[in-house]
Amino acid sequence: MTRFVSGDVELEVDDRAALALDVAELGPGSFVLRNGDSEELFHCVRVGTVVHLWWRGVAYRLEDAAQGPRASQRQGGGGLEAPMPGKVIAVKKAAGDAVAKGEEILIVEAMKMENAIRAPKDGRIKTIAAKVGDMVAPGTVLVEIE
Amino acid sequence: MGLFKKILIANRGEIAVRVARTCRALGIPTVAVYSEADRGALHVREADEALAIGPAEARESYLDGARIVDAARRAGADAIHPGYGFLSQNGDFADAVAAAGVTFIGPPGPVHRLMGDKKGARRLMAAADVPVVPGYDGDDQQDATLAAEAARIGWPVMIKPSRGGGGKGMRVVTQAADFAAALASSRREARAAFGDDVMVLERFVSRPRHIEVQVMADAHGTTLHLLERECSIQRRHQKVLEETPSPALDAARRAELCAAGVAAARAAGYVNAGTVEFLLDPEGRFYFLEMNTRLQVEHPVTEAVTGLDLVRMQIEIAAGQPLRLGQQDVSARGHALECRLYAEDPDHDDRPSPGRVVVLAAPDGPGVRFDAGIAAGSEVTVHYDPMLAKVVTFGADRAESIARMRAALARTAVLGVTTNLARLQAILAHPAFLSGALHTGFLDEHLKDGGRAEPPPAAALQAAVAALRRARPAAGPAAQARPDPWSSLGGWRLP
Repeated sequence: MTRFVSGDVELEVDDRAALALDVAELGPGSFVLRNGDSEELFHCVRVGTVVHLWWRGVAYRLEDAAQGPRASQRQGGGGLEAPMPGKVIAVKKAAGDAVAKGEEILIVEAMKMENAIRAPKDGRIKTIAAKVGDMVAPGTVLVEIE
Repeated sequence: MGLFKKILIANRGEIAVRVARTCRALGIPTVAVYSEADRGALHVREADEALAIGPAEARESYLDGARIVDAARRAGADAIHPGYGFLSQNGDFADAVAAAGVTFIGPPGPVHRLMGDKKGARRLMAAADVPVVPGYDGDDQQDATLAAEAARIGWPVMIKPSRGGGGKGMRVVTQAADFAAALASSRREARAAFGDDVMVLERFVSRPRHIEVQVMADAHGTTLHLLERECSIQRRHQKVLEETPSPALDAARRAELCAAGVAAARAAGYVNAGTVEFLLDPEGRFYFLEMNTRLQVEHPVTEAVTGLDLVRMQIEIAAGQPLRLGQQDVSARGHALECRLYAEDPDHDDRPSPGRVVVLAAPDGPGVRFDAGIAAGSEVTVHYDPMLAKVVTFGADRAESIARMRAALARTAVLGVTTNLARLQAILAHPAFLSGALHTGFLDEHLKDGGRAEPPPAAALQAAVAALRRARPAAGPAAQARPDPWSSLGGWRLP
């Protein structure tokens, strides 16, 4: 069984049925599904834990359920990770500060847009491992909250 | 004839590609410039020659006017097209280009500075009888004066940095008690972003439509309008979908609005292509918002209905030629739509989604235009705007261009980065959009959840699993050792 998450919905795929399909790769990310004398083009690309799927004119973004929730929400052990690569342009809190759920802690700029990194829960900031001007990569633990 | 010997395109992405296309049609060689992050980018390949201008950081490359002027000199270009964004509305850059003996394809420096100052622009427009939102644009900037003026204007009031843009530092205040704090934070943000904290106050217009007039003025005193575009579908003050004609205007109101656009351009002493933006309130009154002193992203919809090439007109005007048509020669046929395809995730606050484009399937066919800044294999980096491409459709009427857009989007595939494609499709299927009931809060009101598609059907999921299993190359030490463009594909294993 393979599991994906689409939005809030968890989806299960029967691997045996999947592997019985006649699917051939046409080029990077492009495939043809053959069924009897019918042929259908679709696209599928995996990037990290995300699977991009294009099927019959609709684009889907799936996440690999086996890998756990997406990085932006990952909060293992109180660590808050950078959700996207970018540059830290503001640090609004310091170690020791109390934060309320939803409060802005850092702002990361990427592609001309400012993206707030917010507290996922009430708590106190243990460490902030970023300063203004730092380039951060997704998955880097930026803030620890206790 | 004598247009230019060689044009340097001081931009990147789809607009650089689009400008190069018209230059080719005119037989003018082009020079691209590129940052380290754009080595091998599509716009570099589309130009006749290309010069590196610095590191990825825009401030040290695409925003560094001195390097661009120097590149023009080195390449022997006698004109610079700035595209949109970057230095396109920078008056000092326009002056520096002219001082170097190179023609800037756009209005002269003082016009950029005049329109870049909201306070001055408001006063100028009011003096020219172009309607402005009731508000305050005075020189007395004391907090107490602004508070008193806000109360006089009536709540809710919008606080806007005079030198602002892109929504930065803007605040809506609904009651007197909140004004002082909002003003202080707006000033702080404006000082940080624009180095200036002069403010303009305006009555907040609720549920407005954004309608703009395309103007074109030559250096011989002729100023034309090329009708309007409606750009009410926005997120974070950035446009997502545009159309012309606007479904909100009848012939009389359209004539009034376009005349106001021409009056605004004349008041500014405008030369070259520009856009006068207006708000249209629910009662049908329109107000001057600002003037964009450059080519707009959404100019292709105007090209589709008028049959004109706006970049060609810009080049001819910059070369000193008079406009070859009069107002009576400008007419529109049919209806055109533009959808902006962004590398962002509408399900998560439009978070940018950099990455490598692995699959790109472009729509084509009658009435379809696809202006892209990317190709399969392109890297979408964090350094620049997330717009990937524009899909433009044209039809005999609004229903036909919408039908064509839906068909075109269904044939558009961009995989490898997350895009807003599903949200664009949701907009085009929404009853409020189809009925033309638009306002700038449309997305927040109707598609707050990002317009997420239903989960894929079981057959699609099975096909995906089979595809991921077959995708080359198999993960292995050899595949991982080299920086292979497809290395991100590997590693899929079934449990």
